[in-house]
Amino acid sequence: MISGLRVRRRDDTPRRAESRVSDPVLSVRDLRTEFTAREGVAVAVRDVSFDLRRAEKVAIVGESGSGKSALGLSIVGLVDKPGKVVAGQVWLNGREISRLGDRELGRIRGSEISMVFQDPMKSLDPVKTIGDQIVEAIVTHEPTLKRAAARRRAVSLLREVEIPFAEGRYGDYPHQYSGGMRQRVMIAIALASNPDVLIADEPTTALDVTTQAQILALLGKLVEQHHTAVVFITHNLGVVAQFCERVEVMYAGRLVERSPVGKLFEHPIHPYTEALLNAVPRPDRRIERLQAIGGFPPPLTSVPPGCSFEPRCPLGHGRAICRDAKPVALELQGGEGAVIAECHFARDRWQTAAAT
Amino acid sequence: MVKAQSATPALKHLRRARPIIGLIGRRTLGSLAAIVGASIVVFILLRLVPGNPARAVLGQFASDQAVESLTNSMGLNEPIYVQYYRYVADFLRGDWGVSYSTGEAVMTQMTSRLPATLELALAAFALAFGAAVVLALLSTYRRRPWLDGSARGVAAFGLGTPPFWIGLVLLVVFSEYVPFFPGPEGRLSSGVEPPPKVTGLYTVDALIALNPSTFLDAVWHLVLPAVALGLAPFAFLMRLLRANLRDVAGEPFILVVRSKGVSRWKTFVRHALPNAFLPTLTAGGLVLGQLVAGSVLVEKVYNWPGVGTLVTNGILQQDYSVLQTFILLTAVVYIGLNLIVDVVSGMVDPRVRTGSVDTLG
Repeated sequence: MISGLRVRRRDDTPRRAESRVSDPVLSVRDLRTEFTAREGVAVAVRDVSFDLRRAEKVAIVGESGSGKSALGLSIVGLVDKPGKVVAGQVWLNGREISRLGDRELGRIRGSEISMVFQDPMKSLDPVKTIGDQIVEAIVTHEPTLKRAAARRRAVSLLREVEIPFAEGRYGDYPHQYSGGMRQRVMIAIALASNPDVLIADEPTTALDVTTQAQILALLGKLVEQHHTAVVFITHNLGVVAQFCERVEVMYAGRLVERSPVGKLFEHPIHPYTEALLNAVPRPDRRIERLQAIGGFPPPLTSVPPGCSFEPRCPLGHGRAICRDAKPVALELQGGEGAVIAECHFARDRWQTAAAT
Repeated sequence: MVKAQSATPALKHLRRARPIIGLIGRRTLGSLAAIVGASIVVFILLRLVPGNPARAVLGQFASDQAVESLTNSMGLNEPIYVQYYRYVADFLRGDWGVSYSTGEAVMTQMTSRLPATLELALAAFALAFGAAVVLALLSTYRRRPWLDGSARGVAAFGLGTPPFWIGLVLLVVFSEYVPFFPGPEGRLSSGVEPPPKVTGLYTVDALIALNPSTFLDAVWHLVLPAVALGLAPFAFLMRLLRANLRDVAGEPFILVVRSKGVSRWKTFVRHALPNAFLPTLTAGGLVLGQLVAGSVLVEKVYNWPGVGTLVTNGILQQDYSVLQTFILLTAVVYIGLNLIVDVVSGMVDPRVRTGSVDTLG
């Protein structure tokens, strides 16, 4: 492995030494992001908290419009107007980054925490060469690096993401690359400075299935080698099962269930999680028909006063408690494999699941 | 993971080939073809105009014999392709015919008046283009509503108002009420000698002659007509660039650049601007072409001794040799500017250079 990357980090030692191994590398506390629109204020991220341990892979799963992407952008402070992070904290490597200005955040983005986005066809600047765009990611954090050295690093990164003829294709433009290759380049850019956390926002959604599998395998291999923790934002439960250890289910801006991946598939606690699983073809279960979830997620400008899933919930629809009272997050199991669900019937369902 | 991953020499050569040279070659050939086409159109149009040019020259009381002999000596009885060949050959030799309303050679008329129009056009263009770029950048980067609003207000005004009227208003305000700028007295104050002719542009020639007072005087006379003429192109270019900048600012790749840790300003300058600039560049070339073709009315308002007056008179007097020369020269300027724009676009955007079509969008 010629990962000439791990060795070269400038501030490797101090950053790691500050925090103990068991400490989370990323902590999000009560994060709230609002978008002001003509129709009112849309709360895309509603007081969300979660932790990410070193080298851990966590999935954030939810329907379109559940606030997943807004959560990812909120963490790195890239929510653009009319959106705004209005409350909460983000801690990275034991340091609060949510109060930092854009300049200081710029020093962290791309070096300690980076992102891979959904659409590789639109993620690269069409008028700059692939090489220049990787070099930009490198020299932004190492301004003293010589041009030739940065170039060598970029080429070795291209090799690492398995671009054939990396040397020769360094000077190509994005339109000369296929979608899968562009996503490889995006991964190279994201891992250029060997970050501790990678936020992958639907990185395989725009790709065809074969390419998806390749990109996923590559990403898995690289984050393993680099000891990178991953927040994997997706709506694809199949990918979750394959890639992640832990799952956070997001609905209407809230994380409504947290569970280790195996447990989630076996015993979903929240009715929304269950509905999600029923909507996905599963080789381990024979069912006649896939069941779509009726209705739509509530508009984020006016989430129901009680449980936000109540109008669509097969279990709670029409019940007074679900309609009127916000369910609290209930910890059903603590520790490493914590199970937490935000449902009035969580305890009952947990016990039923335990009994079977 | 040490694999043999160097490209074969042939592949490498292909990648390192300089497509920009090829682009210049292709576009130059295309431009030459376009100029030939334009000359044919001009030629044919003039043959289609009713009436006998010889009769037009001699007037309605000339004898048929005289008309006949002039028709012969003008070569109007020869086959059409011979006439076309003569026309092109004469044009290239610099023999652009004689204006029969004034009896002067068209070449002399054009060269004495074209620089004035050119100078005004270039000044108006520089003003319009420069102001458009600066204001579009400011209004999109800073995102100040008042700045954006006022820039758009000026743009709407500029697009909706005829330039000659703006010219008159500017004269009334800045020359009459506030006598800061000179009145409609042409390119220089009376009594100021034109600088020795090198380019024909007084500002440039004055600089070459190291004559600062003449230079200032020339600039002073340029300001008002250039503003009047440049306001509409400014508005057009500003709106175009502003819209494109806003579009590009919303592209996913801008977010990616930001996620690398690059600052907002650097992202803007390095990535948003080059991507948004292309349409403005193309439009800029066309706008300059239009400006060079002259603005008859603004030239009239400011007594500007440009081709505008010459051409209006030519139309009124049916002075065909003046008109055909003017049309062909305009076409050449237009095509030449387009060539320059194409090459510059190729330098900015690799997709133009390689001629490949991308699905980006």
